[in-house]
Amino acid sequence: MADIKALEHPTLKVPYEILNKKFRAAQKQLDREVSHVQAAAIELEKGLFADKVGAGDISRLLGGMVEKLQVLKRKAEESICEELQAGYVCKRRLEHLKEHTSTSQWCRKRLDRMLVEYFLRKGYYNAASKLAQTSDLKDLTNIDVFTVSREVEKSLMDRETTKCLNWCHDNRSKLRKLHSTMEFNLRVQEFVELVKADRRLDAVRHARKYFSSYEEDQLPSIQHCMALLAFPSNTEIPAYKELLDEDRWLRLVEQFRQENYKLFQLASQSTFTVALQAGLSALKTPQCYGSYEQKNKSCPVCQDWLNLLADPLPFAHCSHSRLICHISGLPLNEHNQPMVLPNSYVYGQQSLLQMAADNNGQIICPRTKEIFPYQKAEKVFVM
Amino acid sequence: MEACVAVEREVDKVLTKFGSINEHAGRTLRDVTNHIEALRKELSECPPDHELTSNQVMIMKQAMSKARETVQRLATDHRDLHSTVSKVGKAIDRNFVADFASTSRDDVFSSPDKVVLLNKVICQHFYRQGMLDIADELALEAGIDSENEKEPFTELNYILDCLKHRDLDPALEWAEKHRASLQKQNSSLEFKLHQLRFIGLIEKGSSCQNEAIQYARTYLSQFVHTHEKDIQMLMGMLLYLSNGVSRSPYAHLLQPSLWADIYDTFTKDACSLLGLSVESPLSVCVNAGCIALPALLNIKQVMQQRQVSGIWNGKDELPIEIDLGPEKRFHSVFACPILKQQSTEINPPMRLVCGHVISRDALNKLANSNKLKCPYCPMEQNPADARIIYF
Repeated sequence: MADIKALEHPTLKVPYEILNKKFRAAQKQLDREVSHVQAAAIELEKGLFADKVGAGDISRLLGGMVEKLQVLKRKAEESICEELQAGYVCKRRLEHLKEHTSTSQWCRKRLDRMLVEYFLRKGYYNAASKLAQTSDLKDLTNIDVFTVSREVEKSLMDRETTKCLNWCHDNRSKLRKLHSTMEFNLRVQEFVELVKADRRLDAVRHARKYFSSYEEDQLPSIQHCMALLAFPSNTEIPAYKELLDEDRWLRLVEQFRQENYKLFQLASQSTFTVALQAGLSALKTPQCYGSYEQKNKSCPVCQDWLNLLADPLPFAHCSHSRLICHISGLPLNEHNQPMVLPNSYVYGQQSLLQMAADNNGQIICPRTKEIFPYQKAEKVFVM
Repeated sequence: MEACVAVEREVDKVLTKFGSINEHAGRTLRDVTNHIEALRKELSECPPDHELTSNQVMIMKQAMSKARETVQRLATDHRDLHSTVSKVGKAIDRNFVADFASTSRDDVFSSPDKVVLLNKVICQHFYRQGMLDIADELALEAGIDSENEKEPFTELNYILDCLKHRDLDPALEWAEKHRASLQKQNSSLEFKLHQLRFIGLIEKGSSCQNEAIQYARTYLSQFVHTHEKDIQMLMGMLLYLSNGVSRSPYAHLLQPSLWADIYDTFTKDACSLLGLSVESPLSVCVNAGCIALPALLNIKQVMQQRQVSGIWNGKDELPIEIDLGPEKRFHSVFACPILKQQSTEINPPMRLVCGHVISRDALNKLANSNKLKCPYCPMEQNPADARIIYF
């Protein structure tokens, strides 16, 4: 159960954040519609205070009020339904987590969930949605959150800022709390693009409009990019060449990704890479980096690619011996006594007895190919 | 489990409260609307130039204040649910670890060449699982070349798929093609496949008797020297052909478990023939990580509390021992029981004359000139008699 506590925070926190967002949107919606009803009521009350109250007028006003009330009712139903939907997503995920067992099926599903998230973070959207579909994981992964961000990323790659600015606008209060510089950086980029297109006057207008209400720490950046006006767009001066660099768009995409994670309280690393790191370390032994004979083809860390990936990671810590039989892979213990051959190689008693039975009492050491009678094997005691 | 239950309790509260506010809002708004609608109807029945009596004005005023109160109450009620909603978030933060990434380094898999490696590993994992379309899609999107990886798995997955549908032909063909290598690793795959086919003929009843005997003569006879007992049993089945094998001592040979068994045998033998691990290395690693991570997070927290987090250098070795279970031990690791250290090439395990094993450093420390008393038994011996062993 400990692994659920350690790894499933994002599985629950993201739908919670969505629920929270839906709640706030619903509240806003309700407040707006309520104020409309209130306004209609106040208008009607005003009419009632007149000297002569005409039935026709009041009837019309009442009709308007009924309309407003109906709108309120419809909007209230819609918003609360959305909130309930978001709540059910949390509930469904909890139910899945409660099914947790160490069966291979659950673990396989968990790996698929992790991979979907990893793909989404890396921007492999088609692979992610395909996998989610095949393994029936749509409700259990945050694919919807990422499809929104995909649109934004795509538009940024196409040198478009509108979608990302809309996103900034939608999440303004939260982004401000996170001290986000996303919007500012987008505005800078727009300015740079105007300079690139040699529309310098437009650039100045743009700067007047968006840079005048700057935050304190943004002044140097503003000064930096304003100075760009003085240079041609093919300048070789590093400080300004950097501003004109096309890679800035990629950095915007990266920044957007990171801020989007923060918005949904997603960690900067995916659970997949975190679990993989921990797993590689826990399995990594010096033998995995030893000679060819020391490697074991069942050991994941001995596989070429994973071996390279695990290279910078720490080894497993081992203060108690963990011995396995080189022949059968079974643990060596009191039920499978370790035995040493005259050539100093140790094997499990079970494997040696089996081999002796198959070979008229002879043992062929699989590592040196020397042949000994079984009686020459001596017991080894490991504490 | 308590973690999930605690969060679920809060989520359930949210669901019931929103459910009831939904109902309540619907009902009260409908009532108010109906009331006002009725008033309007009443007025519209009056002649258009009719002036409201003071009584009517009174009723109108009352209706208005009631309507305003109702809608205001609705907005306030909804706002009050905020605490219920935020309790879910708090419960999640309290019961689950938010900074689960604190023990890992984010630079390990982030460089471009590592990303490619990792994607290759994932691709291979999906080929192995038989999810070819996903692997292809990933290869395409991540821009890696995976055609070489695909080959063995495509064939294996096809054969396994056929085995699932009780079609033995592709597996038999494969086994015949690799007969020599299979025999070298003492595999009984080919025999097991023929056995299943023979049993299949037996199951058809006495009408296929001749065919079954013919099959045994052609294919089973070659295995007599390795599977004599098994063949005797298979022949025994023929005796019960007319009375029904399912009511005979050989009924166990008709169990569907034989099919599950051949599936496993084929996977194991084929993988070892191709030099592959039976389990997907990626899933072994990730599952190991899921076991290791809670322990690592715990120790990290303890270290931070004791303000010794500097010890966590994260470079050489994990700070604690993690037991992944016997099936995830792939290498023998000898740790000296005296020094509690892993053996190395410089400090190898030494077997004393009495059979106990300690590391060479420990041996040198315990030895007194040419005398050594084993730390585990009374035997005295010459330290020079101890010898290095290899696990």
